[in-house]
Amino acid sequence: MMRPRQSVQAGAGRGPAPTPWSAAHPRRIVVALRRSPALARLLVIVALILLWEAAARWWIDPIFLSPPSRVVAELDELFATQGVPGALQATFFELAVAFVMSVAIGLVIGLAVGLSRFAHRSFMPIILLLYGTPQITILPLFILYFGIGSASKIAFGVSHGIFPIIVTIVAGVQNIKPILMVAARSMGASRWQIFRWVIFPHMIPSFFAGMRLGMTGVLLGVLLAELYVSSGGIGYFTTVFTQNFDPTKLLGLISVLAAMAIVLNEIVRRAEIRFGRWRMD
Amino acid sequence: MTAGEVAIRITNVSHEFGEPGEAFHVRALANTSLEIARGELLCLIGPSGCGKSTLLNMIGGLLLPTEGTVEVGRTVVRAPLPREIAFVFQENALFPWCSVIENVKLGMVFQGVPRAEQEERARRSLEAVGLKDFMNHYPSQLSGGMRQRAALARALSLETGILLMDEPFGALDEQTRMVLGEDLSVLLARARKTIVFVTHSLGEAVFLADRVAVFSARPGTIKEIIRVDEPHPRNPGFVTTEKFARLRNQLYALLHDEIRKAVAQAAIAGPTP
Amino acid sequence: MSAKRDRRNKLASRGVQIAFVLGLVLLWYLGSTYWGVSPILLPNPLGVWDELKDVLGSGEFLPDLQVTLTELAIAFVISCGSGITLGYLISRSPYLIRVFEPLLAGIYSVPIILFLPLYVLFFGLGPGSKIALGATISFFPIILNTIAGFGYVDRIFITAARSMGASDWQMFRHVLLPAALPVILTGLRIGFTVALLSILGSETIASLAGLGHRIVHLAEAMEMARMFAYIVFAVAIAATLNTITSSLERRAKRQ
Repeated sequence: MMRPRQSVQAGAGRGPAPTPWSAAHPRRIVVALRRSPALARLLVIVALILLWEAAARWWIDPIFLSPPSRVVAELDELFATQGVPGALQATFFELAVAFVMSVAIGLVIGLAVGLSRFAHRSFMPIILLLYGTPQITILPLFILYFGIGSASKIAFGVSHGIFPIIVTIVAGVQNIKPILMVAARSMGASRWQIFRWVIFPHMIPSFFAGMRLGMTGVLLGVLLAELYVSSGGIGYFTTVFTQNFDPTKLLGLISVLAAMAIVLNEIVRRAEIRFGRWRMD
Repeated sequence: MTAGEVAIRITNVSHEFGEPGEAFHVRALANTSLEIARGELLCLIGPSGCGKSTLLNMIGGLLLPTEGTVEVGRTVVRAPLPREIAFVFQENALFPWCSVIENVKLGMVFQGVPRAEQEERARRSLEAVGLKDFMNHYPSQLSGGMRQRAALARALSLETGILLMDEPFGALDEQTRMVLGEDLSVLLARARKTIVFVTHSLGEAVFLADRVAVFSARPGTIKEIIRVDEPHPRNPGFVTTEKFARLRNQLYALLHDEIRKAVAQAAIAGPTP
Repeated sequence: MSAKRDRRNKLASRGVQIAFVLGLVLLWYLGSTYWGVSPILLPNPLGVWDELKDVLGSGEFLPDLQVTLTELAIAFVISCGSGITLGYLISRSPYLIRVFEPLLAGIYSVPIILFLPLYVLFFGLGPGSKIALGATISFFPIILNTIAGFGYVDRIFITAARSMGASDWQMFRHVLLPAALPVILTGLRIGFTVALLSILGSETIASLAGLGHRIVHLAEAMEMARMFAYIVFAVAIAATLNTITSSLERRAKRQ
């Protein structure tokens, strides 16, 4: 026979007295927040934006900071500024091309180095050395060699993107459990079959993880190069907006670029989750 | 010794790792000879490092003997013979990115079985091991015992005459081992293959085998071969009989000193390669 | 594979490495000396070597190096202090971790170098903007690692300490801190490296002083040999700092 709910609620020492359930009661909000960190996170973001709004409106000199409301309102002006949409398009194009090239080149080199013990021993230290050098120091050289157009930005992006891809692919190829290779050999698999059916599928999660890191690298490389070249592209506009003390347009431009970066990162991240994991529990 | 045809002939086989004079040099197997009859189940049992897995790998063509020969039928074994010999390993050798049935089919792809036959054979062998309802599961979703069933199904689907099993139940708990051992006995009675089975477990050896070859400590060689005369499939009740206990005690007596020797060797020499 | 063959292979691959590097240097030398590659693109390696000696000998590098290192030091101190403090506070509550960790990781995934023009607007072209950007970027790996270090200490240690009657302070000093230290130290190393890179980057893009700026200045003046010398110098400084921080990290972890 079911015990009535009453006795549980009013029970001895079982917690605080039942809360009044009016919609905006602070307790209810706290409970909702407690249950969902995602909601709390959203509130934190909203709070930060409001803080930005307040600071820009009342506390900080308007030549230094614009409130988000104004930045959004004047976005259309930003896009109407001659050359801005072109610069944004060019940047996106550079990012896409640099990423595709990084993946292609990184995959080839990664497989070549990972599959051959000799190549690995010979070239991996060199690759790791290059990966660790601060490439920013040779940015002026890239511009000198490839010019101030898209080529240098793509080149610099590729130069940042290939290394994480190579390193993760090499790891993916080399980390395969020896027992799996032995099993395939015992079943009479040829070298090609071993590559196609054992090494390649094993390497796929690493490949996708590498692509995620590669995208981060490409973003860094392309944007660094863009910001450096102040005679055209994004770099021109950031310089102009800064020198003219136009924080509204500057923030607008930065926000659009940040959004671009977030979207691209998210695409690779989703791809990794969807295709880059063997179906595991 | 043998009433029927010889399936595997091992003649004066030795194996060494490294070269004499190097720090790494190990004589795993010394001058071992053995004849395995068609359709029999032979167990190799012995202390760690005595070379039983090495011998198994040589039979299967994964290792070349430094001395002596291994013959299967009339062929000298120098490389894997996927049409004659199938392996079941101790470790999880299932490909984690393939489902169970995909794993089984992949073995047939390597062996060169035509596509049309693969599905049928895969289903049959999975049913035989009791995994009919788990065909589309992934190895990570299965328990250890079920994974080894899947590995067995993969080996069975290759329809080879010889099956080599390297401590297939070594990583499983006692209860799973018992169940799998009984099921294996039933299955093998039906399948009529020549089987060489490496194990550490005395009870398992007596329960499953027609003959048990006992190895000495390193450098390993066959100390004695014990015959278990008992019809297949083995009755689970066999384990409780006096005959079983007698045979098991015989094995224990043969092995005990060798095991002690091997442990002492390991303490001096460090871990086995 | 026998050990002898193995050793031969190791020597062979070492040989290939050295040959590769030497080959590149040789190509560089031949290209600039005999094959008529324009000195505007590729200065003669001997010329670079001379310039490098001059730069080091005359001490010309000192003011720029000083600027860069000062910016780095200040930025790192700021990000360390704020990162570790806030990270510890957040790590005290699993709920706060779940709220803030994904947020911080998400922000970090955006290339923060984008905000350099804004900082230049705020602080001008001087060291202020570099310090601000360096501190901002290096803040994230430090706080994330601090949260990871303190927040994921194995429960069993805490339980054991509590069962032995440890006070809050003792718990922090003898359990939480030692357990979290390896992860935090890694975060500090990453933060330091990232700070250096962002400072060099911002000096390259928009600055009046510092190593990054010096390289750009020489590029614009087309003084290729001297620029190469400074690049070599900057890479050497970065490598030295990396080695120092890595070995500090390792030594601290061993204790």
